[in-house]
Amino acid sequence: MHSEPIEYEKPASLREFESIYAAKAEDAKILSGGTDLHVLIKEKLLAPRLLIDISDLPELRGISYDPVRGVTIMAGTKIAEIERSPLVKEHAPALAFAAANLGSNQVRWMATMAGNICHASPAAETPPVLLAHDCELLIARQGGERTLPISRFFLSYRKTALETGEYVKAFRLPPLPARAAVSYRFKGLRKAMEIDMLNIGAYLELGEDGTSVNEVRLAMGSVGPVTYRAVVTEQKLKGMRIGEEFFAAACDGVVQEATPIDDVRASAQYRNRVIGVLTRRALEECLHRIGERRG
Amino acid sequence: MSKRDFDVIGKGVTRKDGPKKVKGEHEFADDLQFPMMLHGRIKRSDIGHGRIVRIDTSRAEALTGVKAVLIGAETPIKYGIVPQMPTEYALAHEKVRFYGEPVAAVAAVDAETAEQALDLIEIEYEALPVYTTPEEAMAEGAVKIHADNRFPGNIAYEADQNFGDVDEAFRNSHYVLEKTFKTSYVNHAFMEPHCAVSKFDTNGELFIWSTTQVPHYLHRHLSKVLQMEMNRIHVKVTGVGGAFGGKGEVSNNELISALLARKAGRPVKVLYSRKDVFLQHRGRHPIEMRVKVGVDKDGMITAIDYDGTMDGGSYGGWGLVILFYTAAMLHLPYDVKNVRFNARRIYTNKPTCGAMRGLGGVQPRFALESLLDQIAIDIGMNPYELKKRNAIGLSHETVSGQVVRHCEFRKCLDQAVELSGYKEKHGKLPFGKGIGLAGGYYISGTAYTLYMAYKPHSSAMIRVDNESGVTVYCGATDIGQGSDTVLGMMAAEKFGLPFESVHVVSGDTSLAPFDLGTFASRVTVAAGSAVCKAADNIMEKIMPVAAIQLGVRPGQLEARNGKIFSVFEPGKEIDFWKVVEKYIDAHGPLTATGDYTPPRRTGNFKGANIGHSPTYGFSAQCTEVDIDTETGEVRIVRVTEAGDCGQPINPVSVEGQVEGSIVMGMGQALFEEIKVGKDGRLLNPSLHDYKIPTMADVPELRTTFVDSYDPDSPFGAKEAGEGPIQPVIPAIFNAVYDAIGVRFTEMPITPEKVLQALDAKKKQEGKGR
Repeated sequence: MHSEPIEYEKPASLREFESIYAAKAEDAKILSGGTDLHVLIKEKLLAPRLLIDISDLPELRGISYDPVRGVTIMAGTKIAEIERSPLVKEHAPALAFAAANLGSNQVRWMATMAGNICHASPAAETPPVLLAHDCELLIARQGGERTLPISRFFLSYRKTALETGEYVKAFRLPPLPARAAVSYRFKGLRKAMEIDMLNIGAYLELGEDGTSVNEVRLAMGSVGPVTYRAVVTEQKLKGMRIGEEFFAAACDGVVQEATPIDDVRASAQYRNRVIGVLTRRALEECLHRIGERRG
Repeated sequence: MSKRDFDVIGKGVTRKDGPKKVKGEHEFADDLQFPMMLHGRIKRSDIGHGRIVRIDTSRAEALTGVKAVLIGAETPIKYGIVPQMPTEYALAHEKVRFYGEPVAAVAAVDAETAEQALDLIEIEYEALPVYTTPEEAMAEGAVKIHADNRFPGNIAYEADQNFGDVDEAFRNSHYVLEKTFKTSYVNHAFMEPHCAVSKFDTNGELFIWSTTQVPHYLHRHLSKVLQMEMNRIHVKVTGVGGAFGGKGEVSNNELISALLARKAGRPVKVLYSRKDVFLQHRGRHPIEMRVKVGVDKDGMITAIDYDGTMDGGSYGGWGLVILFYTAAMLHLPYDVKNVRFNARRIYTNKPTCGAMRGLGGVQPRFALESLLDQIAIDIGMNPYELKKRNAIGLSHETVSGQVVRHCEFRKCLDQAVELSGYKEKHGKLPFGKGIGLAGGYYISGTAYTLYMAYKPHSSAMIRVDNESGVTVYCGATDIGQGSDTVLGMMAAEKFGLPFESVHVVSGDTSLAPFDLGTFASRVTVAAGSAVCKAADNIMEKIMPVAAIQLGVRPGQLEARNGKIFSVFEPGKEIDFWKVVEKYIDAHGPLTATGDYTPPRRTGNFKGANIGHSPTYGFSAQCTEVDIDTETGEVRIVRVTEAGDCGQPINPVSVEGQVEGSIVMGMGQALFEEIKVGKDGRLLNPSLHDYKIPTMADVPELRTTFVDSYDPDSPFGAKEAGEGPIQPVIPAIFNAVYDAIGVRFTEMPITPEKVLQALDAKKKQEGKGR
């Protein structure tokens, strides 16, 4: 680790940013909110030579909605803006809720969702909801863009699928089918300013009959090195009917697929037990939301 | 002094520091800047216990911008808040006793350079075994953490007190219950980290600005460690952003800033990071205590037997005093005739424990109130009934000789129970919901100084003139509790002037007359008495002047609403300031002093000086919880508090103290715990990982006062800063028992422990069937 002073650049346009980043990505870190990055630097866990501040780039801000493509959230949008956005509240209320439970108000006005996912902590608030929405990431670099489902973004602990020179540019949440909903549940020791002991994002889509299960997505946080989906359970639940058997299968399934460890926040045993409880509550909330949507 | 209608006392005045704090205008130590000022940083040990073999500072000294580097060998003078038992050094000398102990310090032109220099200091240690628990430290063959310790087994100090005949009382008891309780390792988590700025003037006099509760003890320590006469040292307390006991003894940064300033010849600021605060620590002692209580068939307490081991951490600090306070606080607020106390404080290789809000009381209160709750339930009595029966009356003398001159504890119990609906709810709420009751009390000051002295504990001077108005000079220290407000209100009431017109100069050893400092909930009674006496002395000087002007006898006069008037002929009045002018024209400057010395009481046993107080505050709380039996989460729904703090001087401040106490106690009951690795390293020394309650966790708080007035106190007042935390934890634990039938004896009650306990209970019940 070097001890030279860190250089700082603040490009005035997305174009300028892309060219600086293309040239110096190896030694650079993108500074957007800094709520994780500065902590890591201060703790001497990271020592970038260059910080590229994109926090004021207008091209990276904003939330929009289109009935075909769904909700698009630009990467530099502040968590507090997501929390308060009428569009997000309408089309992805669970994301607004998760955003509202990230850090403090001060942190939420600094932090961005791109920072939250690129930090790739298994305890982060937004990844479970984004996974439940099957969000698509727009990943860019100088001279090119690609899309990637978020389910392929988290590779391992604090490691993502971004390649050198690439950055997250936008999030796209596809429109929800008529009988579908997403929910988010978490468990921390206290009620705010918490690193979760556990969290879960759930997606539930019912068939036209309103009782058969078309599709389920269950994304668990803090039970493994990354936030990930309980894909085996999801498959098992497909086609089942809503009822006690369905909930029991969901709870048993996530417990089977969770791989928690003991750490300062909670024991593996506790996590294994409560992930099932949260799963049930999250799915019940989805059902409730579907009911509400249908009036 | 008698009770009457007051104009200022008992009214919620606006604190003068309030708007300034809200607007960021109130000056804290870190706001201070001086020309040429350097920034000091501390190199800390990266082992938990070991001998210092070699320190090489040459590379740090060579770094551009570094102006001074200091090591322990340059300052080998031991100090301690208990002067008979000095154990500490400004910087570790010859050995380190905990992971993160200050070993060297650097002053540089800016903080970044100082921090960079720390990395260039090379230290070689010879490692010794690290003891992170009392059991390890007490084990046979354990290395002595302090070589000159006269006790074996790393025992810092022992206490045994025995009153009445405990064994006989147990033999004659109807029911006896014994349990072992464990409290956790918690920090005050005050908002403002320690910060001190030291500056030597050309004449070699030292000026130090610091965020301390105890300018007087800092003054003494600086004199000792820097080997300077006290009259060449000036201690000035800046704004204090919370302290709760954590700034109630000298902190390393204060001594280090002064030593570095002397060495560098320039002003030096040493500001702590949050991690430094956790390493300085001085938080609550974890205690493992086996407590046994007996009752007769009417639920009257027959005896208490206590055996406790306190984990003191690596240095002495306030430990010895706290050990004996724990003994003193075992029986009140109940009338107990037979009490036995055996306890020891153990050195371990961890940051030192010390004074923390309600010291001495919180741990035994937790055990006692839990046991009494369980005993009541076991013998089929409502816990309120049992506590009420045992509660002391209007005045009391304990078996250990503590004299309670005024007490309204029974009113507290009645009021909290009444307002919360405790009797209707206890034992009757659905599974998962519960209500718990606990009582508590605290001293309003101490009887003795820490060193042998007969001087007054508090003194005040008041100056009145037509140019500057009323200025109260008092050494008491406002650490955020609002003592400047309270002392100013008292003077205003005495002079019949509005609070806003009184200025208070405090916390400055050069400007203000002597005061011991802010601890033991002593300021309102002690400094308040001194201010009242000084004010009375001023009135005694000016009343004869007013009397002559009005042509009446001085004894008929009263001061109110800016006037001095005859109580018999209210038409005969004169403006207060007119009288002051006449007095000064005739006699010269108008000043007066007042002082206060508490009653000196003692007994014929070890530790007998400790626990006596001029008067005591009391409180009772009923706490309601709601437990999520699937996730184990304990949510506190409502706390109803009834407090006897005598006459509240500034009720808004008292409510703040009560609410703060409840939230602080709740954090310890449910969340807080400093975690320590095997090597002695702190695992969560940040407010990110050390969880104090947030506003989102704060329950509905119902804070009430009982009608109370201590006629021997200034304006009838008693403490309110440390008493209200006493019942918080046991009330929560008792509520949890009421909710799920599990008697927890260990803090904190985490969701995990709740689920485990529910499982164990289910198993037990399964077996029972």
